[in-house]
Amino acid sequence: MPAPPTILERPQRWDSAFDADMTDADIARLMATAPFNAMDPKKFPKRTPLREILRNDARVLKFRKGEIIMRQGDYGTSAFLILQGAARVVLKPDLAPSLLGRQATSKKGVLKTLAQMWNSLRPPEVFPRSALAQSSGVSARKSENETRVFLQDVPRILDQHRTAEMTAGEFFGEIAALSRMARTSTIFADSDDTELLEVRWQGLRDLMKYDDALRTHINKIYRERALASYLRATPLFKNLSKEQLDKVAEAVEFSTYGDYDWSGEYKRLAQSGSVRPEKEPVIVGEGDYPNGIVLVRAGFARVSQKFGDGERTLNYIGAGQIFGLNEIAHNWRSKEAAVNFQFSLRAIGYTHLLIVPTRVMEEIVLPSLPKNELPPPVEKVEDNLDSTPPPTATREKVGPEILEFLTENRFFNGTATMVIDLDRCTRCDDCVRACASTHDNNPRFLRHGPSAGRLMIANACMHCADPVCMIGCPTGAIHRESFAGQVVINPDTCIGCKACFNNCPYDAIRMVEVRDERGEFLVDQEMKPIAKATKCDLCVENHGGPACQNACPHGALERMNLNNLDALSKWLKL
Amino acid sequence: MKRFRRQLFSGLFALIAATAGALWLNAKYNALPNYAYLTGWALLAGMFVLTIYNVRKKLPFLPLGKSETWLQIHIYLGFFTTLLFLIHLNFRAPHGWFEVVLAWLFVLVSGSGMVGLFFSRVLPRRLATRGGEVIFEKIPALRHALKTEAEDLAVGQETKSLVIAEFYPKRLAPFFAGPKNFWKHLVESRREVSALLAELEDLRRFANDTEKEIISKLTALVRQKDGLDYHRALQLALRLWLFVHIPLTYGLLVFTALHIILVFGFSGGAR
Repeated sequence: MPAPPTILERPQRWDSAFDADMTDADIARLMATAPFNAMDPKKFPKRTPLREILRNDARVLKFRKGEIIMRQGDYGTSAFLILQGAARVVLKPDLAPSLLGRQATSKKGVLKTLAQMWNSLRPPEVFPRSALAQSSGVSARKSENETRVFLQDVPRILDQHRTAEMTAGEFFGEIAALSRMARTSTIFADSDDTELLEVRWQGLRDLMKYDDALRTHINKIYRERALASYLRATPLFKNLSKEQLDKVAEAVEFSTYGDYDWSGEYKRLAQSGSVRPEKEPVIVGEGDYPNGIVLVRAGFARVSQKFGDGERTLNYIGAGQIFGLNEIAHNWRSKEAAVNFQFSLRAIGYTHLLIVPTRVMEEIVLPSLPKNELPPPVEKVEDNLDSTPPPTATREKVGPEILEFLTENRFFNGTATMVIDLDRCTRCDDCVRACASTHDNNPRFLRHGPSAGRLMIANACMHCADPVCMIGCPTGAIHRESFAGQVVINPDTCIGCKACFNNCPYDAIRMVEVRDERGEFLVDQEMKPIAKATKCDLCVENHGGPACQNACPHGALERMNLNNLDALSKWLKL
Repeated sequence: MKRFRRQLFSGLFALIAATAGALWLNAKYNALPNYAYLTGWALLAGMFVLTIYNVRKKLPFLPLGKSETWLQIHIYLGFFTTLLFLIHLNFRAPHGWFEVVLAWLFVLVSGSGMVGLFFSRVLPRRLATRGGEVIFEKIPALRHALKTEAEDLAVGQETKSLVIAEFYPKRLAPFFAGPKNFWKHLVESRREVSALLAELEDLRRFANDTEKEIISKLTALVRQKDGLDYHRALQLALRLWLFVHIPLTYGLLVFTALHIILVFGFSGGAR
């Protein structure tokens, strides 16, 4: 007789509140505060009432003067509303990396480079005691639940930087939270009684959905601060005048799909082997009426086509790429032979989109394009009923097996993915030795990982376009290097909290227990070992680029941007 | 043009040009009194460049160019120095024990290099085609895990199968005990493992349903072990040639230094 199934309560959205300590009194106070006091609770559905959004998707935080609320360049998942006190945004010049708990990266000097010849004799993961002292200008303050970084010399900062004050009632951080872009400014508390309401993106999304005023307000900010410059930089709109561009910006709709915290869910699905395109949220369905082009602003989306009971991947598109232009241009030119969307577009992970309506495309954008820049006429899928997938350039470039492999494993996220050609790799481990020599006898990757055919993606940091590892770092230790954008960790300010380690969907970050110069483990007062997060830093301090790539005698290893498959295709054909 | 083809063509072109040039110079000037010194010093310079590739490998943190470029130079210069070596010997067999040892060292270093080149061009593709990629250092642990699993299946407490218990120590235990069929894997022969699998399959005639299930599992384990052995054999071959090439290079350098001392010590002002 089969064993009875284990019965569980179905998991619900708010099983895990943002802050379990939010009380009825807190909610009542928020409901009496702007802008929530102006919201109409009746407009919110029964499943997601306003009070419950505030209870489960928001938390009240108190900051003391000088404590950093958000850092420029960080990836945040929430927006802030000032309830009390004041905050200050740094305008110009930007704060120095050391003030934000980051490393001011510079290339190694001659002596330091040569000293590496002897460093290979050191025990692994040596971390001098002197380096444990926080770098000047910034310190960490630990409370029961979290660690805050604070600026030590606020008057000097105010003296040397142009700043602006924000007071009670002002929102900030909403654009970065909704579009999953890096924070554009650093903001710190300007009084000891600063009280903020932090709303996580799911709550903010729902508040915007059901409250017209908030939606209009945030959309207005988005259009003013981010959209115009983004559209101006998009090649499709390059021929438009300022007035035409303003009209396009006015008509653009914003949309987000997928799960903001996709990495955890993805890890679970990947472990159970059930990552399937059919389960991904549909942005545009194959055969839908084309009511606008889709511009991917952040994240990735999969272009797929029905095949048997499943979907086969034809391409994936990332930030700056467009879906649906072919169909809309085709319909504009030949109205009598109009076609629907030929393929589906599905969000992979989290995708933030801009949609330019067909009407605007037909009236403003398409007439501005020269004929040779218009896409060719669409060949209907119905006319192509055999099982051969349509000849998309991407699929042809690398072959269907590798395309599915890269998409299923979400490797397209990598801007410097370590790709190994197994047909050429002699497994000599020169790459690993080179990495170890360059990092004081500590290799920062594993020459092993998932493979498809002759292609292996090694277990090394890919320096993602969407670096989910950076979400939630309490001290800003993991950050993008300011010059070339590599994702690096500042060991001085890493507190070993494992946030990045747990977030990385590719298991590219390792926690190591650090030692002193004698090789003894460093421990805290409770005799627990001190751990730091480590990973590939793309040899950011080294002259000559990544040592692993340079050390491969057979050209079998390349650090490659998989956002664009041209380089991979060329390399595989070598 | 594809990179590998370009490297091959440009390298071969340079090699052929250098060879033709060297042979022409040899034909024209080999009657010169100092000709042996000239070829000797040229050979030493070539050997020096060949040797410093290993130094470049030890200093990956210095901006010394790509190892791939160094290797290409190493390969073609290696072929060219072999020709220089023959010219230096005046295409005659060496005589005297010292010269014979020196010549043999050169031949072994060059020969092992050529074997290494052959291996590094052929074996990776075979490993990739076989699949089941595994890190060399992890193979013993994986093999031990397979052995334990096979033992549990065949002679564990719950099995109690006479058919399998008799077969296991005779045929399977030695197979799982350690790495097997190194040379056969190297030449891509599957005779041994096919025979073992056939014997295992034959057991089914005497097996009940439970035993047949165990035989299926053992068959899968034999295939996995064979895959491990295959990776071990080829990966080992890809490493072993270096254990000949590099130590003998140092020996060759020592003998070369002695050779120079002897030549200058006993030349008696002939130069």
